[in-house]
Amino acid sequence: MRRSRLKLPADQRSHRLDFEAIGTHWQIDTVDPVEDALRAAIADRVERYDRTWSRFRSDSLVSRIGERAGRWILPDEAAELFELYRDLYLATDGAMSPLVGRSLDAIGYDREYSLRPSASPVAAPTWDEAVAWDGEALTTLRPVRLDIGAAGKGHLVDLVGAVLQDAGHSQFVIDASGDIRHWGADVLRVGLEDPRDVTRAIGIARVSDAAICSSATNRRQWAPGLHHVVDAMTGLPTSTIVATWAIAPTALAADGLATALFFADPARLSELFDFHWVRMNAAGRVEFSPDLDGELFT
Amino acid sequence: MLMQYAVATPLRADDMTITKSKLPITLLAGLSLVGGLAGCSATVAEDPAPPAPPVETEPDAGGDAGASGSYADGTYSAAGEYQAPSGTETVDVTVTLAAGVITEVTVVGESEDAQARGYQERFSSGIGAVVVSKGIDEIQVDKVGGSSLTGAGFNTAIEAIKAEAAS
Repeated sequence: MRRSRLKLPADQRSHRLDFEAIGTHWQIDTVDPVEDALRAAIADRVERYDRTWSRFRSDSLVSRIGERAGRWILPDEAAELFELYRDLYLATDGAMSPLVGRSLDAIGYDREYSLRPSASPVAAPTWDEAVAWDGEALTTLRPVRLDIGAAGKGHLVDLVGAVLQDAGHSQFVIDASGDIRHWGADVLRVGLEDPRDVTRAIGIARVSDAAICSSATNRRQWAPGLHHVVDAMTGLPTSTIVATWAIAPTALAADGLATALFFADPARLSELFDFHWVRMNAAGRVEFSPDLDGELFT
Repeated sequence: MLMQYAVATPLRADDMTITKSKLPITLLAGLSLVGGLAGCSATVAEDPAPPAPPVETEPDAGGDAGASGSYADGTYSAAGEYQAPSGTETVDVTVTLAAGVITEVTVVGESEDAQARGYQERFSSGIGAVVVSKGIDEIQVDKVGGSSLTGAGFNTAIEAIKAEAAS
């Protein structure tokens, strides 16, 4: 497995936990062994998140929200999630939105994975005409298909990390297939996968007690130009940018910013967030934040 | 339309080195290549373009949709128009086939979309760097940050569509 490549000193994070969750592979590397009770707590945390937020489960809260308008009390974690989404929604002029579920359905990325696009793309409703978030409840003025895929995986990395911290772990790495967060004082060297050839890297970023999340349109592409990074304003997948990386204090922020980098000028995002970034456009050109701790192979 | 979408799905990123997935795949759809694309390499030399419908090309005489994917070597060119949010866009695509695999793809698109053009201009004005990638085995890293591996459900669906396209 490509992602099992670990070159760490044997006396460091020598314990490893692998599992599948929310449709992808997770790997947690710890200094101390993960006891059974902690494993169960992690599984429970993942399950609760999935049961709330999954667009792919008919029994999820998000699926129920899709059926009718109403006022929905959401779990505690919703506050930071919607706060981030609101910031990025505004920073991308509405292109990045949690209301993009129906747009994804329309291009075939639906609950049944039909992967068959309908006749025409569907733009997402604007935030204020569809929902209102008051800090604890989401009021929906119509049935809305929420999709938090642009930040949810990173968010869950943070939440699982908190479970580990509660159990006494202080040095560990969670890698949820593209969303990575490091806890501790040492430095994690992360290769930046070349979206044109996933056996290669275009550079290295150094991350310490922070998260690096990436997004690319190469892998989850099921037809010409059809992938999961969709502009909510048009309902169409993006095409100008093909890969992004964001380094931020939390995986939630890094994951959301990685998606926002497809739609927004990085300078504008930098005014709102303290983060570092790299992105590649469709012609293979790369730009990156001047203060990036790392190197690009030029 | 389904056929055109479906035949593009053999492109697994693990097997391919495609610089710019969209238009090469679009063209593959036109060429109706199914399977057998592992290890092929394609390079897009020019500007990106917004989503485009499959581009019509001149198929080789033996190129039935869903066939084994054997096409005469040579260069295939096509021009296409498509409707972008900003209006009608055009794109010129050239594909070179050798030994049944694509060895080169050139896409020339002229985006009139102001936002897309702005990005392109900024990238080409020296801010964007040309990078030379290195094999991951050649560099010392603890982790690799890239696109998400796809889940089982997604992969199963892709396989089903491929099977349907080939039948």
